[in-house]
Amino acid sequence: MSDAGAIGLHWAWLAPAACVGAFSILAPLHFSGRRLSSKGAVLAVGAIGFSFILFWFLLNSLLNGAEREFSVSWFDAGGDAFNLGLTLDPIAMVMMGVITFVSLLVQVYSLGYMRGESRLAWYFAVHSLFAASMLGLVLTNSLLVLYIGWELVGICSYLLIGFWYERRSAAEAAKKAFITTRIGDVGLLVGILLLYKNVGSFHIPTILEAVEAGGLSDGLLTLSAILIFLGAMGKSAQFPLHVWLPDAMEGPTPVSALIHAATMVVAGVYLVARMLPLFEAAPAVSELVIAIGLITAVMGATMALTSNDLKRVLAYSTVSQIGFMILALGHGALAAAMFHLATHALFKALLFLGAGNVLHAIGESSDVDIRRLGGLRSRMPVTSAVFIIAALALSGIPPLSGFWSKDEILQAIWNEGNPATLVITISAFFLSALYMTRLCWLVFFGKLKPENQSAHEAPAVMSGPIALLGILTLVFGFTAPDWLDNVLGLAGEATGFASFILDKADSFHEHVVLAAISSVVALAGIATGLLLYRQGMKLPDGVDRALAPVRTLASNKYYLDDAYQWTIDRVVLAIGAATAWFDRHVVNNTGVDGSGKITALASRVLRRHQTGQVSNYILVISAGTLIFVVAITLAA
Amino acid sequence: MKYSMATIAAVTLAISIYLFVAYDNDLGGYQFETEKYHWLPGLGVTFHLAMDGIAAPMVLLTGIVMVTAVFMAWNTEPRAKDFFALLMALVCGVYGVFLSLDLFFLFFFYELAVVPMYLLIGVWGSTRKEYGALKLVLYLVASSVLVWVGLIAIYVHADMGTFNLIELEQAGFDATFQKIVFPLLMFGFGVLAGLWPFHTWSPDGHVAAPTSVSMLHAGVLMKLGAFGIIRVGLDLLPQGAQDWQLVLVILATVNVVYGAMSALAQRDLKFVIGYSSVSHMGYVLLGIATLHPQGLTGAVYQMFSHGIMTALFFALVGVVYDRAHTRDISVFQGLSKRMGVTASFFAVAGLASLGLPGLSGFIAEFLVFVGLFKTYPVVAVFGIIGAAITAVYILRLIAKVFFGPLDSRWENLPDASNLEKASMLSLVAVLIFGGVYPQPFTRIIDQGIGPILDRVNAVA
Repeated sequence: MSDAGAIGLHWAWLAPAACVGAFSILAPLHFSGRRLSSKGAVLAVGAIGFSFILFWFLLNSLLNGAEREFSVSWFDAGGDAFNLGLTLDPIAMVMMGVITFVSLLVQVYSLGYMRGESRLAWYFAVHSLFAASMLGLVLTNSLLVLYIGWELVGICSYLLIGFWYERRSAAEAAKKAFITTRIGDVGLLVGILLLYKNVGSFHIPTILEAVEAGGLSDGLLTLSAILIFLGAMGKSAQFPLHVWLPDAMEGPTPVSALIHAATMVVAGVYLVARMLPLFEAAPAVSELVIAIGLITAVMGATMALTSNDLKRVLAYSTVSQIGFMILALGHGALAAAMFHLATHALFKALLFLGAGNVLHAIGESSDVDIRRLGGLRSRMPVTSAVFIIAALALSGIPPLSGFWSKDEILQAIWNEGNPATLVITISAFFLSALYMTRLCWLVFFGKLKPENQSAHEAPAVMSGPIALLGILTLVFGFTAPDWLDNVLGLAGEATGFASFILDKADSFHEHVVLAAISSVVALAGIATGLLLYRQGMKLPDGVDRALAPVRTLASNKYYLDDAYQWTIDRVVLAIGAATAWFDRHVVNNTGVDGSGKITALASRVLRRHQTGQVSNYILVISAGTLIFVVAITLAA
Repeated sequence: MKYSMATIAAVTLAISIYLFVAYDNDLGGYQFETEKYHWLPGLGVTFHLAMDGIAAPMVLLTGIVMVTAVFMAWNTEPRAKDFFALLMALVCGVYGVFLSLDLFFLFFFYELAVVPMYLLIGVWGSTRKEYGALKLVLYLVASSVLVWVGLIAIYVHADMGTFNLIELEQAGFDATFQKIVFPLLMFGFGVLAGLWPFHTWSPDGHVAAPTSVSMLHAGVLMKLGAFGIIRVGLDLLPQGAQDWQLVLVILATVNVVYGAMSALAQRDLKFVIGYSSVSHMGYVLLGIATLHPQGLTGAVYQMFSHGIMTALFFALVGVVYDRAHTRDISVFQGLSKRMGVTASFFAVAGLASLGLPGLSGFIAEFLVFVGLFKTYPVVAVFGIIGAAITAVYILRLIAKVFFGPLDSRWENLPDASNLEKASMLSLVAVLIFGGVYPQPFTRIIDQGIGPILDRVNAVA
C-alpha cells in the first residue's frame, strides 16, 4: 500500500469519540420526550460510518508501520498516575474492522427494522454508546480502560436486551445477563488488580513484558490467568456462565446480531487473545481454557439441536462457535481464533439479521417456534439464499469463510493438542452442520403454513446489509491461504490473514487431509440433517433410546438455569433474608432496643426510691451517715 | 420565604464551588484560614476555620446536596419556616465540622448538626417517626459522648492548653495513650458513619425522615463520622490508627457485605437505600483502614460520590412516595411507563451504586480496591464481591419497580415536577462529571491526605 492517506494512529480516538458524541445528543433527545424520525437516527449511523472510514485510514497507516502506542494522563491519585491509552496492533485492527463494519450494517438495517418504534432515539443512542465502549475496549493499551469498556458494553447490552422493558421476560433477561456476566467481572477486576499490584502498571505491553521476563511466580501467573479467564467466560458466554446468552434474545433482533453474536460476546475471546502470553506462561490454565472451550462447543451444539426457537438456536450456535475460538486460544492458536472470530462475526450477523427478516415477514418481535415456519423460501428469495450461504459457511463447507477458519482451528489442535480433543472437535463440527441443516429446513423449506401466506421479502434497507454480508461470507475465507499471494504475484510478501495477525511472515499451514476430513464431516452433518428432517427418517430404536437422555438433558439446558435459579432463590436470597432478620432481631431488638429496655428497667427500679416521703429520705441519710462513720472509724 | 431559602442555599453553593475551585493545589495544606478568635482564652478555645484538600470536596458536597434538598422540600407542610430553620442549623453544623481547626468547635458543630435531626424527623417524618427520631438521636448523642471523652483526653494529655488541631499535631502522644484513645474516636465517629454493628439507627432514621432530611442525613451527615476519623483520629493518633487498623478493616468489610445482603431482603424502598448506604459507607471505612494513599483518596472520593448518589436515591424515592403514598416494593410494577425520567434517574443512581465506570462511584471504589490490594488483598476480594451483590439488589429493584407491564393502579401516576427533575438532573450531572473527569477531585484530595499519611508513615 502507499503512504498516501496514512494518518497517525493516535487519531483512532476519534472513532469512539464520534460515537459518544452521537450518544450524548440522542440520549437527552429521548429524555426530553421527543420522538426521533429516521432522519435523526442518521446521526448515529453517520458516527459509526465515520468510524468505519477511519478504520481504513488507520489500517493503511498500520501497514505502513506507523507508531502504535499512545498514552495520555487521565488522573492522579495517591501518587499513582492513571492513564488513557491506545494500542493499534493487528488484533485491535481486526476487532475495530469487525465492530465498525457490523455496527454500521446493523444500524442501517435497524432503520428499516425498528421503523415506527417510539423509543428510536434511545435505541440509537445506546447503539452508539455500545459502539464507543466496544471500540474503547479493543483499542486501549490499558487494562483499566479495557475494564471500563468491558463494563460499559455490559450495561449497553443490559439496556438493549431490556429495550422492550414492558415485557416481563425482557426485563428478567436483561437482569440475568448483567448479573451473570458480573460474576465473571468480579474475577476480571480482581485479576487486573492482582497484576497491577505485582507489576505496578495497567499498561498491557508492560504487563506482558513482565510476564515474559519471568519475574512473576507461577502461582501468581496461574491465579491471574484464571481470574482473567473468568471474565472472558462471563462475557463470551462460556460454560458454566453461558446461560444468559439465549435469554438475551429477548432484545430486538438487530441487537442480537450486533452485540450477542458479532461483537460483545467475542470480547472474551479478544481478552484472552490480548493476554495470550499470560496464558502461555500458565500451562495449567491453558488446559482449563481448552476444557471449557470444548465443553461449551459441544454443549452449545446439542442445545442448538434441541431448541425450537429461531433465535435461540442461533444463540446456542453462537455459544458453541465461541467455544471453538476459546479452544483455539487454549492451543495458542492466536491467528486461527481471530480468524474464526472475524468470519463468525460476518456470517452470524447475517444469520441473525436474516432471522430478523423472517420475524419481520411474519410480524413477530422475538419468539417464534421454528416448527410453525416452513416454506418461506418462496416468499423471501434473497433472505433465504444468503441465510443458506451463511449456514453452509457455519457448517464448514468449502470454500466459504467458515470452512477456512474452522480448518485452522482443527489444524492448531492437530499440531498442539491431543487426539481426543481432535475427535470431539470434529464431532462438534458434525453437530454444527446438523443443527444448521435442521434450522434451514424447518424455516425455509417444506410447506408454507397458511398463517404465513402474507410473508414477504424485507425492504432493501434490510436485505441490502445481509446481501453484503453474504458476499463477504463467500469471499472472506480467501484471505486465509498464502497461495493467494502467489497467485497475485506477491510471493514472499506473505499477505495472508495469519501473517497480518502475527505481525510476521507466517501463514496458516493447510493440511489437505484435515481439510478433507472436516469437509466430509460437514457434508455428513448436512446429509444426516436432510435425512432426518426432510425425509422424516426415524433413527433406529436403539440409537433413539440411547440418545433420549442426552436429548432430555439438552432440551432442559442441562438443568443449569434451574440450578442457578435455585441457588439465587434458596441460597443468595435466603442469606439476604437471614442477614436482614439478624439485623432486625438480634442487632437491633436485642442489642439496641435491648440496651434501651435495660435502661428503662433500671430507671423503673431506681424510681422506686424517689418516693417523695421525707421520712424515707431521713432513713436513708441516717443509714448512709452511719455506714460512713463506721467506715472511717475502722479505717483509722 | 421559600425563595429566600433557595437564594441562601444558592449563594452557599456558589461559595462552596468558589472555595473548591480556588483552592491552590500547588500550595496544599490549609487555606482560606480565618483569624483565630479567642473564645475561651482560659481553656485555649478559639474559633478558627480553614479548609484543606479533604474538607474541600466535603464543602462542595454539602453545597450541592443542600441546594437540591431545599428544592426537594419545596412543598413542605406544615410549619415550613421551622422546618427550613432547622435544616439550615443542620447544614451550618455540617460546614462547621468540615472547616473547624479547633476541636472544641468541631465538636460543637458536630452536635449542632445532629440535634436538629430529632425534630426534623419527629415532626415532619413518616413511618414510626418517634421511634426513628429517638433512636437516631440517642445513638448519635451516645456516640458523641465517646468522641467528647476522646477529645478531652487529647486536650488534657497534650497539656498544651489548646484545642487547636495544628498545635496538637506537635504533642507527640505516647503509644499507650494513642492505643487507648483511638478506639474512642473510631467507634464514636464510626457510629455516625454507620460502622457495623452500630448502624441500625441509620436505616430506621431514613425510613422515618422526610425526603430532604434523608438526603442530608445519608448524603452529608454520615460523612461527618468518616471525616472525624480522618481529621482527628488519623491526624493526631497515627500510632493508634495502626494499632486498630485490622479491627477497622474487619468491621468495614462486614459493613460492605452485610449491608448489601440486608438490602437484598428489604421490602421498603427506603430500607433498601438505607442498607445500601451502610454497605457503601463500608467502602469509605475500608479505604480509611488501608492507611494507604490510593485507599484513602478513594475513601474521601467515595464520601463525595456516595453523598451525591444517595441524595439522588432519596430524592427519587421521595418522588415516588409523594405520588404513590407507599414505598412497598411488592406493589410496584412497570412505573417507567408513567415516570420515565424518574426511572432513568433511578437507573443512573443504581448504576453509580453498583460501580459502573463512567460514574464517580467507580473511580472511588476502584481506588479503594487498589489501596486494599496493596494492603489487604483478600479483603479487597470481599469488597468486589460486595459490589456484585449490589448489582443484584439494584437490578432486582429496578426490574421489579420500573420494568414489566404497568400495573393498572399506577395508571395516573405523574412523573417528577420540573423543579424536582432539575435538582435530580444536577446530581446526575455531578455523578457523570466525577466519573469521566475525576482529576480535580483526586488532586485536591491528595493534597489533604498527603500530610496525614506522612504522619501515619512516620510512626510505622
